[in-house]
Amino acid sequence: MHGPCTGLFGQCLVPPVDSSFDAAIGFQSRARSGSTSQALLNRASRCSYFFLYDGSKVKGEGDRTREGICYFYPEETPVDKQELLCGQLAGVGRCVSELSSSPVRILRLRRNKYAIRMEGHFFWALGCSADVPIASVCERLDQLIDLFCFYSDSVRQSYQLNSQETLSARWAQYFLHLQPGSSELHRIFSCLRTIDSTNVDPLLLLKAALILQACQRCPLVLAGCILFRGRVVSTQMSPELTMKVMVHESETYAKAQSSSSSLDAAVSSITVFLTTSELQYLQSAPVHKDLSSHSTPHRDAPQKKTRLSRTLSEMASTESDSSDLGPPQSPHKMSFSPCLSESDNSVFSPAPSQSTADPLNPPPQSPEPPFSNGRHSPEAEEEEALDESCYQSFHSNGGGDSQVHHEGGGSAFDERSSLNGGDGDAARDFRVGDSGNEESHDDEDDGAAVGNREGGCGSAQGDQGEDPLPPYGGFENPEESPRIPMMLYLHRVKGLVLALLTDPRFLSDEASMEEVYHSSLASLNGLEAHLGTVPPVPPGAPGAPGPYIFAHFDCIQSTLTTNLSGRPGGAPEHPFVRATSLLHSHFCNTKTLQEAIIRSAGAAVYGTRSVAHETYFQQHGGSLRNSGIPNHQDSAFSLPGKARHRLLKHGVNLL
Amino acid sequence: MKCLLIASESAEVLFYWTDPEFQQNIQQQYGSSQEEGQGLPAFEDSISTLFAPIIISCSTMVDRLGDSYTSFTTENNHIYVLHQFDECLYIAVNGDGEEGEDALRRKIYVMKKMIEVRFGMVTLSSNLLRRELRPQDTEQRARLWKHLQGLLETYSHLRENDQSFLVEAVERLIHPTLCEQCIEFLERRLVQQLNSSAERAGEEVLHAFILVHTKLLAFYSSRNASSLATSDLLALIIMAQNMYPSNVDQDDPGPEDVESTSGSGPESFYTPEPSPTDRDSSSSDNLERVSSPMFEFMDPDVQMAEDSLQALEVPPPDPSTPRRVFLEISGKDGLYPMMPHSLYCLPLWPGITLVLLTKIPTSAVALSVYKFLEAFAKLEKCLNGGQEGSAAARGQLAIHDIRSKLDKFIKALGPSELQSAQLLNVWTEFKNQAFARGGTGFNKDLIPWCKNMKTQLCGIYRQCFLIDSGPGDFPQRLSPRLQERAQTMAQEKLMDWKDFLLVKSKRNITMVSYLEDFPGLIHFICVDRSTGQMIAPSLSTTERTTSELGKGPVAQFIKNKVWSLVSTTRNFLRKGYSTVTLRDGDFYFCYFLWFENEMGYKLEAGDIPLLPDDSAPIGMLAWDYYSRKLLRYYSKNHQGEVVRCYELLTVHLGVIPTEIILQHCRQLASKLWEPSRNPLL
Repeated sequence: MHGPCTGLFGQCLVPPVDSSFDAAIGFQSRARSGSTSQALLNRASRCSYFFLYDGSKVKGEGDRTREGICYFYPEETPVDKQELLCGQLAGVGRCVSELSSSPVRILRLRRNKYAIRMEGHFFWALGCSADVPIASVCERLDQLIDLFCFYSDSVRQSYQLNSQETLSARWAQYFLHLQPGSSELHRIFSCLRTIDSTNVDPLLLLKAALILQACQRCPLVLAGCILFRGRVVSTQMSPELTMKVMVHESETYAKAQSSSSSLDAAVSSITVFLTTSELQYLQSAPVHKDLSSHSTPHRDAPQKKTRLSRTLSEMASTESDSSDLGPPQSPHKMSFSPCLSESDNSVFSPAPSQSTADPLNPPPQSPEPPFSNGRHSPEAEEEEALDESCYQSFHSNGGGDSQVHHEGGGSAFDERSSLNGGDGDAARDFRVGDSGNEESHDDEDDGAAVGNREGGCGSAQGDQGEDPLPPYGGFENPEESPRIPMMLYLHRVKGLVLALLTDPRFLSDEASMEEVYHSSLASLNGLEAHLGTVPPVPPGAPGAPGPYIFAHFDCIQSTLTTNLSGRPGGAPEHPFVRATSLLHSHFCNTKTLQEAIIRSAGAAVYGTRSVAHETYFQQHGGSLRNSGIPNHQDSAFSLPGKARHRLLKHGVNLL
Repeated sequence: MKCLLIASESAEVLFYWTDPEFQQNIQQQYGSSQEEGQGLPAFEDSISTLFAPIIISCSTMVDRLGDSYTSFTTENNHIYVLHQFDECLYIAVNGDGEEGEDALRRKIYVMKKMIEVRFGMVTLSSNLLRRELRPQDTEQRARLWKHLQGLLETYSHLRENDQSFLVEAVERLIHPTLCEQCIEFLERRLVQQLNSSAERAGEEVLHAFILVHTKLLAFYSSRNASSLATSDLLALIIMAQNMYPSNVDQDDPGPEDVESTSGSGPESFYTPEPSPTDRDSSSSDNLERVSSPMFEFMDPDVQMAEDSLQALEVPPPDPSTPRRVFLEISGKDGLYPMMPHSLYCLPLWPGITLVLLTKIPTSAVALSVYKFLEAFAKLEKCLNGGQEGSAAARGQLAIHDIRSKLDKFIKALGPSELQSAQLLNVWTEFKNQAFARGGTGFNKDLIPWCKNMKTQLCGIYRQCFLIDSGPGDFPQRLSPRLQERAQTMAQEKLMDWKDFLLVKSKRNITMVSYLEDFPGLIHFICVDRSTGQMIAPSLSTTERTTSELGKGPVAQFIKNKVWSLVSTTRNFLRKGYSTVTLRDGDFYFCYFLWFENEMGYKLEAGDIPLLPDDSAPIGMLAWDYYSRKLLRYYSKNHQGEVVRCYELLTVHLGVIPTEIILQHCRQLASKLWEPSRNPLL
């Protein structure tokens, strides 16, 4: 890697603590040595080109094509070739889209295929070798652009405000982040990397969820997720949003690794930009949808201030006596009601009954991890000491607003804050519209309100792109619809990260920040200690050739369960991976298809799907020798039965 | 919204076909971009202007990157498929969702196949082909394009409606006794009489067959004829259908038809564009639709331009003039593609056609030209490869081999003709360069001379087989009287069967006969790829004819499922999967491909070649995937054994247990090709 990339990743040359993390977050450490550059090459052969071309800079006859090239990967490509590709593809794309009065989406060459996005004068192309399913390439390009907009808002504006080098570094970062990391299967489904839940005590997952819920006691916190060594432990956000948050997380990890005092980086925040549909989706948490069905239109003012939490325990209590207490507030009302910042004290004081009733949510003042139950492992103690110092540094780190190590995107953020008035207006308009909507609910039938929210939710889910050709109608056009600035707050405890999406005012609201910090610190420490003791799964170990291979994809949560190891067996030429890739795109194309068995000379693979899941199964051994003529004793046709039987113990129920 | 365009590298339109929607779309665009202009240019010009940037970008990519576009897809699902054959770029467009990338690519390959059948080895020289496809004479051009457009439309119609063109295999009428009688008739009476007649003008009938719509009733090949390739037979059926389109509306003698013979039902039946041989020239069909009120940019000038194109329609040629077709023959020493034949299509009754294929007296010339062309191509390849050692020596050897033969060949042609004089000149120059002391010898400098020789040879070929003899001469053909006699003989033979055959062709075999043995079976298609023949119950989807599948929508739904199943299984086959089962909605689909030896013994399933996405389509019409690729690949492990390849597709109700379904499939597979049951030949 050369150019701006080196600047960005040059600082992460310190070997990471944990090798599995190294593999998980991929790019930081890959640039380290010669042997890993081979891996980079392999990856590059899969995704060969990515570029952004701005046609508005090449208008006159005298303008050179290179003026329009905003970013080109691989950066070492000779400029002549860059110009050739950009000029030809953009030109032919323009011509075809004029003929069809619609932008080009896919452009195939004999050796490569390109996913294309055309917006205004911008032309993006992401090229992959011909064997990659085109739906995956399109999805990845959308993710890339989405990522950029998530951290930088509008592309046009970013290029007006920032130097090309800065932005190129960002494209490079996002591009590498989205490159297939551990296994080919993950690439096919473009799923989130989660921690291996089979190796982790389910109680820990519950605890993670509870930490997130506790953070939401602060009305400025919209939603969060907890990541451990680059893998998702628990998330309240949609898979797409979680994926975006993870990019920043891995970046701060690199910084934390490189900087001598990692303590500075324990807490950081950055401005991010959400689309309206993303925001709506966050605000229409399922909890509230359920509750609003039996909400009472009249609420008392005092309750608005006290009933702010959305933890499970409180929900239970709410439900038990909903008649007199009323439901909790809808989240957007909570987060945007202007009176909240004044009533900080009440924000974090849970109802007395709950603080005692819920042992998992101790009063935030207690620094002791609640679930360690006095059994302190030496590491845990060490951590606590560490945290103590961290806590102090947090407080001694200068007063006032600069308390939090803020790493907004340089000048972009500065500009933005100077423009804050305008942005604030836009955001406020949105809020006003929404709250007006909310008020109208009071008069109207509640069912309609629920319907409204579900509509928003549905459109957000539509982005998941089951369609092989996801039209970007469903997803926000970064140039047109305004994005709403939000804060991404990160709190790192070693490999564990708490990431919260918050209202921008959260940053200036010291009290809230401290509350969130303190309330979660102890629990995070405890969780980190426990997760840290789970032996990292050596790559390849679970893939020791068992009697069968399976992959189970959860389309809703975008998670994958498989017993196929990351590296050697997960190669694209692996028969199971090939069949899965083919079947997956076929499932995407044919909505009515429920199950399929396909057999080549070497392998028979069974695939089945429901609304929420796709499952693929291949049985090893047994004689595959057959004549190919229909035969009911053929072992291939017993696959569905075997899959049902075998996968039960992996928690996959195909009945 | 469909279009097919052939362009040269310099973005000259060599041929185009569009449906009315596409034409309208183009004209609207042109109108909006040139509102100030002097009115719209001719359609050919606008289409050429609009596609020119794509065509030029295409050749830039080839030149500078060594890669070329294969397809574009837009947000609104317009698909563009591009393929370059030598210097001709084919672009197929679909904007109505009716054709996928595969179908478009198939269309391109079929178009190329039809052009090969029409122009033979002239297609090997891009230069000549360009002139051939785009004659300078506008009148000639209009006639040629009309003909090719008709072929393309006929093909598209058949592919969308006829199962045999869906799977690209020939369907026979299943009636063993009649079939046998007809073959006997063709052999003993018809072909014998024709070939012993003095009026055959040196032609010899090689193949004779009777078509009922697209189905084969009887096929006879004379003893000294090589077998007719399935690919060619399918292409000939398209040509016959194009000449005498079977109008479903008129000749469906179903009982329900009686009361509605007016045929003005709500359903619109397809009527292919009349070919130039048709007497009634209702060819202004396109134009009428264009001038519908929807089209606002219509300008009188355009009307003029289009009209002038239409008006150039010349009186159709004498129907007794045969069509020159170029087909593959397998000689003693290998395959010879694109050998000239004459095709006579003699209509017996609407829907029933007698087809005669004859060998023309000068066909030996084609054989020689092909051998010479091959030698020069080989030499060029060796020289191009840069190997000036042993490989070049081999190419050199090929030239030495043909040297004296070519000398004799040129002498025999007679130097009086301009074309052969040119050939002689170039050949003399070639010999000077290659063999003389002062020449360059066998190295890269000889390549242009190789190319030149090839062009000259193609020119000779063109002169011998493509140029009609002058107006004064008698065309080379079986005399009209002889043709008439053949027609009458066949009519007499089939007179009593005529109505039966027309019904039978609609209901060749029906699902009724299978329901008892195979409860839950809805449809199947069985194909013998070694002989290129298929069997399937009829799938009639018109409103009036009730099949076992019910009427209209249900039958249409199942038809669509079958069509999509075929394209799905081809996709899997392309990736190496020869067994596929799918549970889709309320149905269960199975697909099996297997190999047997001559004795019917099942051979073990082996590896299947993996094809890239933009490879030639799997099928038998444009390119015989099964014999050229699959069987060749598979036979490597079965040397010296005759390998046969079969395919079976079934559609069952989803509620039937899988075991039963598989038993059905097995029974079907073994039963259908039993010699006793279906004497196919």
